[in-house]
Amino acid sequence: MRRPLGCLTFSALVAAILVVLAVLAAAAATGNGIFSPGQLSGVTPGGPIGGVGSHADLGARCDACHAVAGSSDRMGYRCLACHTQVRNDIESRGGLHGRLLATTTNCRDCHTDHRGVTASLTLADPRVFPHEQTGYTLGAHRLREQGGTFGCRDCHGGSLTALPASTCIACHQALNPPAMALHQDAFGAVCLNCHDGVETYGKAYDHATYPLVGGHAGAPCAACHRGATTPAALRATPTECVACHAAKDIHQGRLGASCAECHTTDGWAGASVNHDRTRYPLVGKHVGVLCESCHVDRHWTGIGATCRSCHAAADPHAGKFPGDCGACHTATGWKDATFDHSKTVLPLEGAHAGPTCAACHTNGTNVGAPTTCVGCHAAKDRHKGALGKDCAACHKATTWADVSFDHTTAAYPLTGAHLGVTCQRCHVGGVYKGTSTTCAACHTKTKPASHGGAFGTNCGSCHTTKAWLPATFDHTKAAYPLTGAHLGVTCQRCHVGGVYKGTSTTCAACHTTAKPASHTSSFGTNCGSCHTTRAWLPATYNGPHTFPMDHRGAGGVCSTCHPSTLASYSCSQCHSDSSMTAKHSGVSGFSLTTCASCHPTGRGGD
Amino acid sequence: MGQPRELLLALVAVLAISGLYAGYANAVAVPAASGLLGHSLGIVGFTLMLMTETLYSLRKRAMRRPRGSMRAWLQFHIFTGIVGSYLVVLHSAWSFNGLAGWLTFMTVVVVASGFIGRYIYTAVPRTADGVVIEAQDLLVQLDAVRLEVSQPSPVDASISPVAARSRKQAAARRLRDLERQMAALRWARRTLATWHAIHIPLGMALFVMAFAHIGAAVYYATLLR
Repeated sequence: MRRPLGCLTFSALVAAILVVLAVLAAAAATGNGIFSPGQLSGVTPGGPIGGVGSHADLGARCDACHAVAGSSDRMGYRCLACHTQVRNDIESRGGLHGRLLATTTNCRDCHTDHRGVTASLTLADPRVFPHEQTGYTLGAHRLREQGGTFGCRDCHGGSLTALPASTCIACHQALNPPAMALHQDAFGAVCLNCHDGVETYGKAYDHATYPLVGGHAGAPCAACHRGATTPAALRATPTECVACHAAKDIHQGRLGASCAECHTTDGWAGASVNHDRTRYPLVGKHVGVLCESCHVDRHWTGIGATCRSCHAAADPHAGKFPGDCGACHTATGWKDATFDHSKTVLPLEGAHAGPTCAACHTNGTNVGAPTTCVGCHAAKDRHKGALGKDCAACHKATTWADVSFDHTTAAYPLTGAHLGVTCQRCHVGGVYKGTSTTCAACHTKTKPASHGGAFGTNCGSCHTTKAWLPATFDHTKAAYPLTGAHLGVTCQRCHVGGVYKGTSTTCAACHTTAKPASHTSSFGTNCGSCHTTRAWLPATYNGPHTFPMDHRGAGGVCSTCHPSTLASYSCSQCHSDSSMTAKHSGVSGFSLTTCASCHPTGRGGD
Repeated sequence: MGQPRELLLALVAVLAISGLYAGYANAVAVPAASGLLGHSLGIVGFTLMLMTETLYSLRKRAMRRPRGSMRAWLQFHIFTGIVGSYLVVLHSAWSFNGLAGWLTFMTVVVVASGFIGRYIYTAVPRTADGVVIEAQDLLVQLDAVRLEVSQPSPVDASISPVAARSRKQAAARRLRDLERQMAALRWARRTLATWHAIHIPLGMALFVMAFAHIGAAVYYATLLR
């Protein structure tokens, strides 16, 4: 019988069994040491931990590092069980291992053993080691001044976890002795206090003169300290925002140079914008809206300042008002509109200014609303259409009652006091048409007693619309036309007690006072026979006068002959008593008072 | 004896692998046995070694349905045996500790044994076209030549005495060759049997140790991470 495999010979099987036994024996003898890929490290970088100076001291205790298969234990846990300092660093996120945790989570990624007694436990490749996580980046330490790349030992002559300042100074002193001397005088000799390898300053530098917070915290030093290589130049760095950021000012200088009024060092975004400084101060409802409502996609510039820039899509007027919204609306709210109706064909005046827009603009239409009065008011026409459709012919926009009817065009033009009375005084009940034009139609009260029923109903024959009084009675048409001085006296002088009818037309009816003494009783009661209404004097005596009135120079002047009374006479005005007495010395019965008895015509020959 | 083509190919492969390995070691580092590259070297190398043994053994015994010539399979066995073991040696990262060290040592030993076996194998007589002359054929030829040599020279007028002597000498020469071949064949068969008795247990020991090594590596480096 042939074997399927030539190797399964008797001797081969014996050899296999012997090898298995040998492996098992060796494993037992060495404590599984035969499976060890190499000797454990005897390097002692630090002091002994738990009595163990190096991994080599662990000998064949594989389980010191290797966890039991199938358990939840891990090799890394075993590392940290002994290396408590590393564990503390990791837990506190401090130290080298706490910082490196960001890139690796397994101890084995950097540390491995079984590479010989003298082999280092650390496999970190200096070319890929994340040195910046130690707090010092090697960005500026790639190539050595004397050629070649930097190796770990170029700086870490002693411990890999320490960097004495003398190492830095030794190299940099050689590069530029004067600058280094100056630099050490100014900043001291502890390089790592300030430098983190980026280029100049690190986090630990006390930047108190200009605290680096927010976005400035991570900025490279040269971003602000441009070209500064001396302490003086570093200190002379301007602290104004624009000194560094002007070139990238998206506002292009429009908002001034005080960036900090809006922005903080936390970043350009999230600025507490004082919109009052922009071309579009925010008022009313614009206050408090999200910036992105207008600044869509966070475009901070180029937003139009017109309402339509933002609200065009939400125009409820569907474009019927092509102008800017601000002509009517304010930022306090859309409903708070102040449409300037004066620019329309129907300026809103008087009472029209008060109602809501919807009172006329029904159905939400803002254009095409009627512009005539009846367009809105027809249903409430108190005139029932009788006065036509042109309400404005009488009414003003103030109130319906504020009527300005041009009564001059009416059948009864208003004059005088009629101009001041309300329409209702005559147009009772709002009835305008058919109102009587007679005075009595309105002036219905009983006529004063003075009229005594004597006057008719045509008040206008005496009274004017100016006032009841003075009335202008046309006495020329009365039984006693007034002439002369009668025209100037009041009615009451004759019509005593307001009694007009039946007034006597004789002079004496009114002129009741005693006649002057000059009259004596020789004159009758017909004053008009001598007097005229023009005045009592001059009177023109028309009665019998036997003695010529034109005697010599008397000239019709009564007083020439009647110096005291008309009932007596005296000739002594012209004919002196003495001369007459002398002349008439021989005339019997001569008397100076009875001249006319002898001289009835006044002639001497009588 | 044919051209050692498999050796040439193996040499080219080894040189190419060495070049790549040296380049990587120079640019990065010697690939650690536990790294991705180091493990890959070990896994590929061991797979080739395993193939070289099992497939060749199967072919040797697959008489009913042979696939490919024995010679071609031997060339494959030699090529993969050299290249696979070389990869395994590179997998060691030049560290020879414990079981892994012994395993590397055993690999070298078995490969060296293989080289010895290969050259013993070349001692087996072959025809002009390289086919191994079987002992039976050799014996038949040997008997025929012996008969020819033992017979007296024929009296033939057509053959001159000089020519007859020459033919005799030629037959005697072939007889010597055949006797030498026969002796070589006997030696070769004896030596090969001895070599097999050593090479196969060594190979078996190697594979057992390799599996132990693989098991330990998986246990310590994979299960106990």
